[in-house]
Amino acid sequence: MGIRLLIGACAVILSLAAQGAAPGVSVQESRLIDRAVPDIPLQLADGRSVQISELWRDRPLLVTFFYRRCSGVCIPFLEWVRNATREAGGIGGDYRVLALSFDDADTASDVAAQAAALGLRDSPHWFFAVANREALARITGALDFWHRYDPARRQYEHNALIVGIEDGRVMRALVASGVEGGRMRELVWELRGSFIPFYAVPGQTALSCFTFDAVSGETRLDWGMLLLMLPALLALAAAVGIFALGSRRNRGGMKTIAPGGAWITSHR
Amino acid sequence: MRPANSYTLYWMGVTFLLFPILILLGIYMRTVQAGGLAGTVTWFYPMMTLHGVGMVGVWYVAAMACAADILGRYTEPSPAVRGLALGGTLVGVLLLLACVFLGKFAGGWYFLYPLPFKGEWPAWSAVAFLLSLTVLGATWLVWTLDLLRAIAKKYTLTQALGWHYLAGRDEPAIPPSIMIITVSLIAGVAALAAGVIVLVLFYQELFTGAASDALMVKNLTFFFGHTLVNLAMYLGVAAAYEVLPQYAGRPWKANKIVAISWNTVLLIVLFAYFHHLYMDFVQPGTLQYIGQIASYASAIPAAVVTIFGALLLVYRARMRWNLASLLFFLGLIGWAVGGMGAVIDSTISANVRLHNTLWVPAHFHTYMLAGLVFLVFAYFYHCSQEAAAEPERAGRQKLVSVLMVAGAYGFFLMFYLSGAYSVPRRFATYPAELAHGGAFSAIAAVFATVFLVGFLLYLAETGSRWYKAMQTAS
Repeated sequence: MGIRLLIGACAVILSLAAQGAAPGVSVQESRLIDRAVPDIPLQLADGRSVQISELWRDRPLLVTFFYRRCSGVCIPFLEWVRNATREAGGIGGDYRVLALSFDDADTASDVAAQAAALGLRDSPHWFFAVANREALARITGALDFWHRYDPARRQYEHNALIVGIEDGRVMRALVASGVEGGRMRELVWELRGSFIPFYAVPGQTALSCFTFDAVSGETRLDWGMLLLMLPALLALAAAVGIFALGSRRNRGGMKTIAPGGAWITSHR
Repeated sequence: MRPANSYTLYWMGVTFLLFPILILLGIYMRTVQAGGLAGTVTWFYPMMTLHGVGMVGVWYVAAMACAADILGRYTEPSPAVRGLALGGTLVGVLLLLACVFLGKFAGGWYFLYPLPFKGEWPAWSAVAFLLSLTVLGATWLVWTLDLLRAIAKKYTLTQALGWHYLAGRDEPAIPPSIMIITVSLIAGVAALAAGVIVLVLFYQELFTGAASDALMVKNLTFFFGHTLVNLAMYLGVAAAYEVLPQYAGRPWKANKIVAISWNTVLLIVLFAYFHHLYMDFVQPGTLQYIGQIASYASAIPAAVVTIFGALLLVYRARMRWNLASLLFFLGLIGWAVGGMGAVIDSTISANVRLHNTLWVPAHFHTYMLAGLVFLVFAYFYHCSQEAAAEPERAGRQKLVSVLMVAGAYGFFLMFYLSGAYSVPRRFATYPAELAHGGAFSAIAAVFATVFLVGFLLYLAETGSRWYKAMQTAS
């Protein structure tokens, strides 16, 4: 188990590094926003059959994918999601979580065992579920969840994805790099119905005027604000400098105002 | 008779050459919006870009030329820097013409980031546009700094800003025009510095691919653009303070109230641009409120004090009305009318309704055309006439004023009505639901043509004096 976790953690780290270097991460996420999610049938870990829409009917749903026999990123990732939702708060009242197996070989009892292993079997806010092949193809296709079976290793190659769904549409998605705590907090913040004014685009912009603090929910000034103040400071410095230099010169040598000069005329 | 400064006359020549071309572009746009010239619709946005950047640039340099000429009466701006400003402006204009006519660059007058990199125009045209702004910005910054240097040669900073009036002292007497020009130039340095930062960010992306934060660049862009337009207006007002007393036969002195109002401008004008970002929901609410308050505070005190002062100056005075005094007076009225439109537009609750309609071009055309343009034309005529001393024909001068006023205000009215009837701005052609926008555009094109005729008569009136002034220029 320990080795499996270690491998999984390494996989998460490598995945993050790879995704951080890839310029298309945010594009992949933003492409999903507002996309309709198909209403597929699910079988929950307790054996009940439901439509996925029943899970998002009265509150947003956080969906993530895994499979029971995964020896890579799945289990550490699910643990991370569990911990992150506990830290961020709001689970149950503001949103629910669905962990959906994308391996059609998994059964309800398989995912029930996984829920138990994570200590979530009795949680009323977490759902572990399986679906048939056709339904899985529809939902993974709709959410661009990439996966490929490797028969030699008898494992799936896949990425890590968390999707926030409200009223059947994607409100936000995080692909692998989204496992940064701040961005996960932003997602939870949004699931709870709060307005997020700023989305950081990782590694793309050096300076911003404002940032959103996902912990406190406040908008804060960032270093880019200095750039906004710089022109005024430069103007002030230029004015003071120029007039200081001017005062050193002899102001007695002023130009004589022409007799027809407007101001003189106006003061006659 | 007072010989005119040769550089002032050169700037007049540049203005007289470019302004009618830019008017024709405006008439072209309104004609396309009215459904005419359908085969040329692909040129609408390049022409909108050229018209916008061109008008802002031409009237900024024209107002600066007036300021430099006024300063020349009291102190000595550098002729070499004046030459540099003129040369730099011409190079910038050539680059602008190339990117628009050869590259069909259409990023609009404020080239909102990242639009210059995303359009259908070739990359070189975006680069040429940025180079054009770089040349213009750099030479104007040097010009601005030189004019400040010239003021500093004669006055201390506290004198130039009239702070002794705030302290209750009347000596030394500072011409109000010096105070206004100093305020405008200091704020102008800030605006041009913001422009430099924007351009550096654009070049950074161009050469390294490193993207910038769009909200930050938009803030800086409007810091640059809005402030520069504001300051051009103030420089035109400085010309009125300087010259109108000659025609009224009364002084228009600086005092505590005038000093308070213009120092308020210096303090506040740099924050007024926030009202351009009301539609940007990511801009924190605090800045939006600051934008509304700053828009009021930077416009109202200076405008009220100036308009009230001008009315007192003219009331029961033995006014000598000619083209200059008429246009100065009309220019101040245009500033007030356009300023009211601007204040309404800078009110958040109104802006929500009006921001994306033709109300916005309505108000800025009002204070630019009926305000700044009239003030600068007044000053240009005044300078030419002072140098040429030709007999004046009152009838023709009144006709010029009537045609320009009727053309301008009829033209504005179509914009205001379009705005009130929710006609969106920046539409080249209107769909059937907005057919009334086309009708307003057609009428506007007629009024703009009336204005153009008035301008050509003005040109005939001033041009002959300008030509004569060139012979005796200093």
